[in-house]
Amino acid sequence: MVTMPQRLPALAACALLLPLSAWGQTLEIATDQSPNGLDPQLATAFSTALIDSNIYEGLTAIDQDLRVVPALSDRWTVSADGLVYTFHLRNGAVFHNGREVTPQDIIANLARVRDPKTGSPFASRLAGVKDVSAAGADGVSITLAAPSAPFLAQLASIAIVAPEAIADLGSKPVGTGPFRFKEWVPDTDIALERNPDYWDKGLPALEGLTFDIVPESTAREAGISSGTYQLLPVLDATSAVALGGQPDVKLLETQDLAYSLIGLNTSRPPFDKPEVREAINMAIDRAQLVEAVYFGRGVPGGPLSPALTQWALPTGDFPCYKPDPAGAQKKLAAAGITGKLKITLNVLGSVQQVVDVAQVVQAQLNQAGFDVSLNVQEQGRFIADWRASNFDGFVSLNSGGPDPDDYFGRTFQTGGATNVFKYSYPALDKQLIEARAATDPAVRKKIYDDVQRILACTGPVVHLAYGALFAAVRDNVQGFVPMATRSLRALRATTLAK
Amino acid sequence: MPRHPLLWTGVALVAAQALAALLAPRAAPFDPNVQNILARFAAPTAAHLLGTDNFGRDTLSRVLFGYRTLFAISTLSVFAALAVGGSVGVLAAWRGGWADKVAMRLMDVLFAFPVILLAIGVIAVLGPGAASTAIAIAIVYTPIFARTLRAPALLLKDSEYVTAARAIGARDRRIIWRHLLPNLSPIILVQTSLSLSTAILVEASLSFLGLGTQPPTASLGRMLAESRNFLALSPWPAAFSGAAILLAALGFNLLGDAAQDLLDPRLRSQR
Amino acid sequence: MIKALLIRAGELLFVLFGVSLLTFMMIHLVPGDAAQIMLGASDTSPEHVAALRHRLGLDQSLLHQYLLWIGAALQGDFGTSAWTGQPVLHEIAGRVGVTVELSVLGLTLAVLIAVPLGCLMATLRSSVADIAARVLSVIGVTMPSFWLGAMLLYGAGAIMPRMQVVGWVPFAQNPAANLQRMILPTVAIALPVLASLSRVVRAAMLDALSQDYTRTARAKGVTEWRVVFIHALRNACFPFLTSLGIAAGYLFGGSVVVEQVFALPGLGRLMVGAIAERNYPLIQAAILLATVTFVLVNFLIDLLYLVADPRARTS
Repeated sequence: MVTMPQRLPALAACALLLPLSAWGQTLEIATDQSPNGLDPQLATAFSTALIDSNIYEGLTAIDQDLRVVPALSDRWTVSADGLVYTFHLRNGAVFHNGREVTPQDIIANLARVRDPKTGSPFASRLAGVKDVSAAGADGVSITLAAPSAPFLAQLASIAIVAPEAIADLGSKPVGTGPFRFKEWVPDTDIALERNPDYWDKGLPALEGLTFDIVPESTAREAGISSGTYQLLPVLDATSAVALGGQPDVKLLETQDLAYSLIGLNTSRPPFDKPEVREAINMAIDRAQLVEAVYFGRGVPGGPLSPALTQWALPTGDFPCYKPDPAGAQKKLAAAGITGKLKITLNVLGSVQQVVDVAQVVQAQLNQAGFDVSLNVQEQGRFIADWRASNFDGFVSLNSGGPDPDDYFGRTFQTGGATNVFKYSYPALDKQLIEARAATDPAVRKKIYDDVQRILACTGPVVHLAYGALFAAVRDNVQGFVPMATRSLRALRATTLAK
Repeated sequence: MPRHPLLWTGVALVAAQALAALLAPRAAPFDPNVQNILARFAAPTAAHLLGTDNFGRDTLSRVLFGYRTLFAISTLSVFAALAVGGSVGVLAAWRGGWADKVAMRLMDVLFAFPVILLAIGVIAVLGPGAASTAIAIAIVYTPIFARTLRAPALLLKDSEYVTAARAIGARDRRIIWRHLLPNLSPIILVQTSLSLSTAILVEASLSFLGLGTQPPTASLGRMLAESRNFLALSPWPAAFSGAAILLAALGFNLLGDAAQDLLDPRLRSQR
Repeated sequence: MIKALLIRAGELLFVLFGVSLLTFMMIHLVPGDAAQIMLGASDTSPEHVAALRHRLGLDQSLLHQYLLWIGAALQGDFGTSAWTGQPVLHEIAGRVGVTVELSVLGLTLAVLIAVPLGCLMATLRSSVADIAARVLSVIGVTMPSFWLGAMLLYGAGAIMPRMQVVGWVPFAQNPAANLQRMILPTVAIALPVLASLSRVVRAAMLDALSQDYTRTARAKGVTEWRVVFIHALRNACFPFLTSLGIAAGYLFGGSVVVEQVFALPGLGRLMVGAIAERNYPLIQAAILLATVTFVLVNFLIDLLYLVADPRARTS
């Protein structure tokens, strides 16, 4: 492929330049997409969260095992009726501009997220909040309209920003996290530097982080193999397999909360009929999909990620998950559909893994007697159609939440904020409201078991698979662990050996 | 050696590949879209002469069907560009005056636009797919044909036999069809075949940027673009789809090149 | 000649106006806008999108938006990037250097190889070597640069795993590291230009070699080497110049793809990113800049042609 005349000058030049590659204590991280703006209260993209998880903190945080842990608030109390949460603000927590975090800041932040004029996608997480007020010099109390079990987990997603920096938040973030913003060169890199005033003394260990935007997977792989980059935080299975044998490169793995799915529009034929939705479930061979797209490094998934061990039902509990093309045809006949059912699926084109999933799903459905066409869209168009519920069905990758209520409520409840499927099932709505108010885990568990059974086969989402989440690091990177939420929180404790 | 080795090489390449495209449904050993995960990333074997891709699809079958997509998109778009751009160029030259100025400046606007960005823009508006790709490429090539044909048409317009035809009262339409076009045909031939060879590349580049045809349609550009992601696991699909694109572009390019040599009177007199 | 220049300048302005209008219409016909993409596929109500849209000025009529834009642009204000809030010109200025360096390196490499290769092809005409050289040059033209780029990356990884091949280090910061990373992109972008230039050189040389003055020179006993490289090459310069203008367009198109492959922060990537993000002010300014450059380069070449070649002046 590489002809000699091209190779020779490259070889010669390389021999000359080799000794010059060296780096300081800044970690070079290669990621595939630019963040969609850095305002943590506006943007929800993975690419934004990846960076913001180092700059910002919420009152609470989610740890590696998906438990709620203290962050800006080091301790809190909950009233007996489950309505009033009182958070104590950590002493010594200061914004990157040097100002100490006060209760007024927290109040201003929550008000900004809830203000419809802000247009924050996180507003729904605070929908149950009735009142926020200061509790002494270093405390905040939040009153809810009704008890809410997932509230502490939801608070973790509300990043606390310096109110005086709000005008420029998209480009010049000011938070309280272990790293502070240094520079953003669009489509090139984003540089963060160590926050010397971080409340957790001694952390972070690194001098800085540089997020290099490298769209090509070949280039990211070449970059980590040659040592240009020291961390690839999110890898798909193809890259992971390709990097498997590389010397000096270590692969890390965790279960991803994000999952691939087919979303179905229940307000349009043919997916307005539950039988047709069930038929799709039966026509799909999830094990084969996992093999084909995830190279076997993933698991077929139900409505909840297997990472949520205390909630998720095993997929064996869902009868429609057994591949059964003949059964699928029977379901279609029951719904009054004869002949090949023509469907068009929109596909999120900016993620190669999604395009791969779509191609396998298409082949499987076509073999089971459907006639599927794919419409691979670039991100902007996909989102526009998604938002307007302008689709028969779509194939995408969704980030799951650490708490079932948060996900189920906004996705499947009638009128839910991300219920673009226009799914409405009153019995399910009732159960979801009941579960949210229940504080007894056993009661919640029972309700959510039922909910999962309903959603798995006839819900508007065909849950396909949860892949393993890979990260690749150079051998000298120590202390980094990938997290199911794709947060890079672990970077605060990461070190770089010479 | 035959008298025009380049010309015949070009003709043979184009003919062979066009034949492959036509006969693909009969000649392909497999359904190009059938996946066989167990057989993926196979190197060339007796069963799969060119190996298989990441879904275990047969590369040979996909290349054969890929030629169909390739020829359909590139010929449709280039001929559309020829029809529209050529008419604009010839008519602008024929009419002259303001019509000429306005038409050609509009063509300049399109021509000045960076090619790949113009194509990206058109596809962004229309949504990706084979038809949008063809339209995008056609729009990109329209000003090229207009510019290429306008200059010689201007010369011909003032030539003796056109003046003579006018003198005997021939109609515009008849003069354009009977006198202008036949004399422009060598230029049209050369420009068309050269455009075909580059149109193939534009299609491939669009696929690389995630535009282009929709899966699972076997398109050489898409195959090439997708297979670069798993180069380290199996280089075969990338190598073969790349080679197929190269051969197709090479065929048209040689054809245009040789035609240029043959039709340029000064070079011809030398032979 | 002054009059001709003025007319050209007027035409140029018209073209730029047309390009800006076309760009504007095109990007607003594309579904989805910056507000939607910024908020992503998350739980936001239509009111939220509308609020953000208002903040970005996307809720005004198209004509109004365009007039606002062009009015400001005529005063040198191209607005601020919808995403980073920085002035658009500032963002573009940071990227021009990369694309210029890539283009200059690519063009230099291409010219250095294309001229001798073209001469060789012309002198070896109709022999097997000529055919081989021509086929090779056609392969160069027809090889997709992203494929070449991926292959080069893959090849470099296999042969020299420790070579730094991706990313960008400013030349001023570390010249050696900069050049090391530019080797593969330069090769990838130069190849098609090299191939097409060598064909132009070949054709022009053939033309020049068949002219009377070369025959005269040969008759006078000038060595064949001098005939080719001094007499003929000098006269082959003009068509070569013209094709350099076309090469500028090529280089730009190539840089869109090559910058993407090697993660170089140039203008091409800026534009592809801006289109995906619907960053309207940035797209407008960047496309206008690219067009101005392309048109100006060709204009300058025309001018050079006009000045240097008396025949062109009269026709």
